[in-house]
Amino acid sequence: MASRMEIFSPEGLRIDGRRWNEVRHFRCAINTHPVSSDGSAIIEQGNTKVICNVIGPVEPTLRSRVVPDRVSISVKVVVAPFSTIDRRKRSQNDSRIQEMCSSIQHVFEDAVIAHLFPRSQIDVNLYVVAQDGGVLQACINATTLALIDAGVPMYDYVCACTAGMLDREVLLDLNRIEESDMPFLTMATIGSKRKVALLQLEMKVQFDRLEPMMAASMSGCHHIRDLMDNEVRKHGKSRLERGSL
Amino acid sequence: MPRDLTPSTIENTFVLKALTERIRLDSRSFNQLRDLDISFSSTEYGVVDVKLGRTRVIARISAEITQPYTDRPYDGLFIISTEISPMAAPTFEAGRKSEDELVISRIIEKSIRRSGALDTESLCIISGEKCWAVRADVHFLDHDGGLMDAACIAVSAGLLHFRRPDITIEGVGSRREVIVHPITERVPVPLAVLHVPVCVTFSFFDVRKASSAISGRTRKDEAKDVDEDDVEEEEEEEEDDSSVAVLVDATLQEELLRHGYMSVTANTNREICQIQKGGDMPVDVGVLLSCSEAAIMVAEKVTKLINKRLKEDEARRNVGNLLVEARAENDR
Repeated sequence: MASRMEIFSPEGLRIDGRRWNEVRHFRCAINTHPVSSDGSAIIEQGNTKVICNVIGPVEPTLRSRVVPDRVSISVKVVVAPFSTIDRRKRSQNDSRIQEMCSSIQHVFEDAVIAHLFPRSQIDVNLYVVAQDGGVLQACINATTLALIDAGVPMYDYVCACTAGMLDREVLLDLNRIEESDMPFLTMATIGSKRKVALLQLEMKVQFDRLEPMMAASMSGCHHIRDLMDNEVRKHGKSRLERGSL
Repeated sequence: MPRDLTPSTIENTFVLKALTERIRLDSRSFNQLRDLDISFSSTEYGVVDVKLGRTRVIARISAEITQPYTDRPYDGLFIISTEISPMAAPTFEAGRKSEDELVISRIIEKSIRRSGALDTESLCIISGEKCWAVRADVHFLDHDGGLMDAACIAVSAGLLHFRRPDITIEGVGSRREVIVHPITERVPVPLAVLHVPVCVTFSFFDVRKASSAISGRTRKDEAKDVDEDDVEEEEEEEEDDSSVAVLVDATLQEELLRHGYMSVTANTNREICQIQKGGDMPVDVGVLLSCSEAAIMVAEKVTKLINKRLKEDEARRNVGNLLVEARAENDR
């Protein structure tokens, strides 16, 4: 396969026709499931699609979930069996999915102004409908939007983006084929500054290559932040016009 | 269910206050590792006992011959089992995976297996039929923080120390036979270890005590400012970076109190094998980069120690230089 397809052509184009610093087509919508949940959002990044439902803040269902001074957040990720080419049912106990849940949970425990809701819980349910690389970043972005829709106060937008390194070229926002071919990192930033909430690198990379990768993913995060901010403002405006606040 | 350890408020404030004065409770500097002690079993190959301060981990490497996976006929098997029993700390339950345990096992998996520290292709004996299955069992004996760092060092050192029995293949075609020569008969062979990954965990403390670094001020902060004074004011005006205390190799107490962490796995080739910064406290990119660089330095130091201990162990075993003279690759 690799012989026919060029991950990065000499002309500077990637397999899907993007340049190195371009993110995939980004579409998002909020308040998509107004009845079933307090906040909801759909994110599409290229062919990766994630739906997020947020329920809460509500009274905890279990005594063990009561934290006296802050809200407790729990995250569940459901990966649909039809989301990839091989239809395989993944159990909830898959260690990769569990790891993803715990990292998303930790990101938002520090992004939400937690002390405003003591003794309450927020449930975040994520459904991965289609995966084409960057599932973790799409999940984080979807959660941010759904929490905003639910009216949960946060310090700022949490935005995530991946960046990979092919030989000496940095590539931003990888799709599935690119992801399987090169080391890449997922970074989540909070706000429009240089604050990194989450950073994950799973493959071996030279230390000197780390900095350009981090710089690229950071700019990707900021770009996605602007895109999400536009959507939120657009949605707010349309609700104001309808007078349904 | 045993409850998680929760340090008292007074402990929390004391540790944080000490950190603002750049003092750690065990009088180490911020970037200093605890005393690391690596010892190998005198009777067996691949049994390592690692003591990192009061944290103690034993790793045991073993190998057996099995059938490779059908989709990877040229690859041997390499399994790392990291089960944490209540022996390490009462918070760990036997049989049930806690979140900490999951994170630890995933990080060790990524650091060593996915980074290709062991060349699995070299474990192939007959493609599609027979291969070595190398297994690393990690036992956590005592938990005083830094479990993954200790476990990673233990597995890396174990892989370097382990010797598998020598084999020969006799016959041709479908009648090939594998003969395993016992260690007493032939000098055993070391594994093909491509690099030595060393995991280093950095703990972040927000010395301004804010629950989140970006928020600036929270309720807790303001309450504190009422009874505390000028020291705090000066801190506020300094650059953002200075509000973060970065500690290497935290003890259990520091681990329980920290606001965020990042574990980096590096090797002496200046490669980063794995980075995991949990979602907790947001930290500036520059801090993360300098941590990664520091991890390489630590990796160099630790690798040097591993090699030194390996050499000592070899000298102890190699009485009368028999191991060198009896090697299979020597001229006969």
